[in-house]
Amino acid sequence: MSALPFASYSSPDLEKQFAVDPSNHQYQTTDGATTGPSPHVLNAGQVDKDKPASPKKLENGEFTALGSLRAQLTGLQDDINKFLTDRMEHAKRKKARLEEDKERDTRINKEISDLLDGGDDDNNDVGRKQ
Amino acid sequence: MVNLNTVLPKNGRNYYVALGLEGSANKLGVGVIKHPLLAEHEDGDLSFKCESEIMANIRDTYVTPPGEGFLPRDTARHHRNWCVRLIKKALQEAGIKEPSRDLDVICFTRGPGMGAPLHSVAIAARTISLLWDIPLVGVNHCVGHIEMGREITGAANPVVLYVSGGNTQVIAYSEKRYRIFGETLDIAIGNCLDRFARTLRIPNTPSPGYNIEQLAKKCSDKEALVELPYTVKGMDLSMSGILAYIETLAKDLFKGNRKNKTLFDSKTGEQKIGVDDLCYALQENLFAMLVEITERAMAHVNSNQVLIVGGVGCNERLQEMMGQMCGDRAFGQVHATDERFCIDNGVMIAQAGLLEYRMGQATTDFSKTVVTQKFRTDEVYVGWRE
Repeated sequence: MSALPFASYSSPDLEKQFAVDPSNHQYQTTDGATTGPSPHVLNAGQVDKDKPASPKKLENGEFTALGSLRAQLTGLQDDINKFLTDRMEHAKRKKARLEEDKERDTRINKEISDLLDGGDDDNNDVGRKQ
Repeated sequence: MVNLNTVLPKNGRNYYVALGLEGSANKLGVGVIKHPLLAEHEDGDLSFKCESEIMANIRDTYVTPPGEGFLPRDTARHHRNWCVRLIKKALQEAGIKEPSRDLDVICFTRGPGMGAPLHSVAIAARTISLLWDIPLVGVNHCVGHIEMGREITGAANPVVLYVSGGNTQVIAYSEKRYRIFGETLDIAIGNCLDRFARTLRIPNTPSPGYNIEQLAKKCSDKEALVELPYTVKGMDLSMSGILAYIETLAKDLFKGNRKNKTLFDSKTGEQKIGVDDLCYALQENLFAMLVEITERAMAHVNSNQVLIVGGVGCNERLQEMMGQMCGDRAFGQVHATDERFCIDNGVMIAQAGLLEYRMGQATTDFSKTVVTQKFRTDEVYVGWRE
């Protein structure tokens, strides 16, 4: 049995290993979930003519060595793509939260400085001296 | 004088064989070309008379539905999934049984073009280079068009009009470089035509430009030419303004905006202009601008030969207009090729790459095979010309 492909991801805050499970269907097809056409062209009515060739089968029904390698790499690529997309979403959500916090702090500081400048806490009457 | 036989063919053969891979846009081309080893090439300026034999010219185009352009991600996917099939087919057609023995060099497009598709093809090239132990040459796409045009038409030193979906340049050779005399200031002419085709939702098969040409031929009243902005700027030209204007005309036409006096009669409200007339007017206007800047370059270098290369060069109306202009200039000539060589193909990359290989410019160092989206025509050292 030849060695299985694997991948490893490392960043300052996280390390992750990706491995292939040859019995899982995801690693037995070259038609990957994340390596299809873009949703944009599919919605425009595109008929996909560019699929990769299916893994070649030997007489006993098993895939050839290169065929099964291609299928395993397709599955591995799907795992990596999903993981990286999740990381991107996570980073985007964190950024959105940080911006919300910054906005809230700016608003609170403005209200405080208005009060200190002599306005009362009823915003409708800002500018009218008591 | 130049020695084109600086590097001799492998294994003592008396001919060179090169494999070319092209994939800078939506066409994936694989070509195999053969150059005989000729004595007169040792001391001459004969790079336009290589006596090339085209052993295979395979191409597959990635086509999107009407109204859509091609995106980098899907184009790269097309190239990745088709390149092995096309390479196998090309080698079979060329009768090459043992590539490591029979091929001298592998040529691929290093740029300019779209990043992801270029990258996919470069990976394929590097893989087969390692597999078969063959050196690589990264070719400039524009120079590929020029060299193929010179070889097919036999034009020794013409002014070149390179017009395609991604590039619009007027080029002339001078002292080891292809110098750009004039070019587009914003978008390429093919891009202008393709985007107009998207607005009209014209089918993209075989190519949007071809379909616009057929519609323009059907224009009934050629005298009533719709007036469009004419934007030649000295030796350059600009096309984004024309595109914006003609797209508003097309939108008014589809919406039936009777207030537009160009399209609809002000008294009766009857439609005066149809889609064919718009296509005709756009072509006439754009091509007239191209003819003007080409003529200006010809006057500058004192030439009366023009070579039109690039996908838009297939357009018969452009060839006709350019022919009229050249004929008026001391009986000059226009040279053009047909769609096999005008449209992006692998053979042109093989031709230019093989010339570079013969001058000793190939490499096995992969750091020199990194692709680049911005690769100017005058960055290439043209060692194979005097």
